Amino acid sequence: MIKLGISAFYHDSAACITMGNVVIAAAEEERFTGIKHDSSFPKNAIKWLLRSTVTDIKQIQEVHWYENPETKDDRVKTIFNKRPIKTFFLRQRYNKDRKNNSPEALLQSLGYTGKIIYHDHHYSHAAFSYFTSPYRDAAILTVDGVGEWETTTISRGKGGKIEKLISIDFPNSLGMLYSTVTSFLGFKPNEGEYKVMGLAPYGDSSVYLKKLEKVLCHTSNKFYLYQKYFTWEYSEKLMFNKKLCQLLELPPRLPEEPLTQEHKNLAAALQKLYEKEFLKLVKTAKNITGSQNLCLGGGCAYNGVANSLAYKFFDSVHIPFAPSDAGSAIGACLTHHTGVGPYLGPEFQDHQIRRILKNYDDKLVYFNLEEGKLIKRTAELLVSQKIVAWFQGKMEFGARALGNRSILASPMKPEMREKLNHIIKKREEFRPFAPSVIEDQASIFFDIKEPVPFMNQVVKTKVNFIPAATHIDGTCRVQTVSEKQNKKYYRLLEEVGRLTKIPILLNTSFNLKDETITMNIDQAIKRYLSSDIDFLIVNNFLIRKKYA
Amino acid sequence: MLKDKIKQKIAKWQKEKEYKKKIAELKKRDPFIYKNF
Repeated sequence: MIKLGISAFYHDSAACITMGNVVIAAAEEERFTGIKHDSSFPKNAIKWLLRSTVTDIKQIQEVHWYENPETKDDRVKTIFNKRPIKTFFLRQRYNKDRKNNSPEALLQSLGYTGKIIYHDHHYSHAAFSYFTSPYRDAAILTVDGVGEWETTTISRGKGGKIEKLISIDFPNSLGMLYSTVTSFLGFKPNEGEYKVMGLAPYGDSSVYLKKLEKVLCHTSNKFYLYQKYFTWEYSEKLMFNKKLCQLLELPPRLPEEPLTQEHKNLAAALQKLYEKEFLKLVKTAKNITGSQNLCLGGGCAYNGVANSLAYKFFDSVHIPFAPSDAGSAIGACLTHHTGVGPYLGPEFQDHQIRRILKNYDDKLVYFNLEEGKLIKRTAELLVSQKIVAWFQGKMEFGARALGNRSILASPMKPEMREKLNHIIKKREEFRPFAPSVIEDQASIFFDIKEPVPFMNQVVKTKVNFIPAATHIDGTCRVQTVSEKQNKKYYRLLEEVGRLTKIPILLNTSFNLKDETITMNIDQAIKRYLSSDIDFLIVNNFLIRKKYA
Repeated sequence: MLKDKIKQKIAKWQKEKEYKKKIAELKKRDPFIYKNF
């Protein structure tokens, strides 16, 4: 059975192809369009999937859509009906979009006329996490902005079946709350949340926590948000109103305004509040399932600091490589456990690389090395404080570069962080970088409970000699790398370890300011040429600028 | 006492004015929301 999985129209649209229960390929639409978190129908991703797997659209037997448009429609219309006048124009636009975004019509335009199976949004999150986990028995917690009605679910995964036990509905949403305060702090929602997480350790949570806690209340195992502070139900411009400013006794920050200590304190309070609420949900999940294992899903599962707290109640925690809506394209297709990894995107052969490099003869010098030599040379460059763009094999699926589309550097000097933030990525100075470490030596350097292959937990650093990859509070969002997961990247880390006794590299995604992660060789070369990255390595080609 | 009260009132009024101004400014710009419909 060949299936096409699709997620679209919120953010991070994506598509995948599965054969049987095996995920053959997957990609996010943003990589093809260059629009970060692109929410449009993933037609480019689908076309690439069909091309790369040599599949005709007519061979697709089922399309699995990651959410149920009818249920979502019910929620949106119910919410609009609360304020028919205020939402009049919004409703017109929504109806028009809904008509244009009909899955049947869009798939027909690609030549597909077969069966479309719709799944609940949070089921797709839960399925992606549970079926890619090593557990047969697990609690599954999904937390995001909103799906159809649901914003949070707790399920039990047992013997390959998912049974939903608790759900919390819109507008009660921790994801929406996090995004609201993100926008209050002058960062773009659905993108700036990482910045808020990075900013939080610079602040004192106690300043705003008591005030912020007033936006919600609880019953036994659910939370409710007082809507008087928020405008999610009727505004397409802003997520909060004057009452939130009055509650916090703070005006919102415009994006161009400087960050003050007050903003840092509010970021700290939001993160603290999220952690408290998340932990309550984790505790409930433990109590009602009795499992030792937890699977996390939904966009909020990118909150690495909160994720690490789940070990208070669970022995083992699984967070998949793309827990937000992108991963739901895969989750919608899965019916039982599968060992899928994150390297599911486009890859390039040597003859393609050579052909493209010929176009840059006047600007670039390149050497096609044997793999062992390439790894040795790259490790030497990194140890000598050079910055290397590392482009290998299949592109990662999900928000993290996990060693195939990465910018790598040595984490051992603090100046490296400044150089990467200011000169290469041109982003805020407070934002941390993450380290990759060989899995079997990770516990020497980091306080980890189990391997973290997808860089989605924040842990304490045990050592003080990797300042460029350690945040101000002594933590980092580590990636453990095993030989099985990514052999070439593992060998590079091993070689760095052989040279320095520290098999750790700073790993940040291969993209420049406001760009999506690099997908193809042409992009890689252009980005390399327009930045101060010292070397570019594409498969076994070591490339440098001619003037260097 | 009265002076303090007046000062407080003015400070509160100024704050309210700033909230309104900032919100109005944000509304003029590109949507600053997490899409939910």
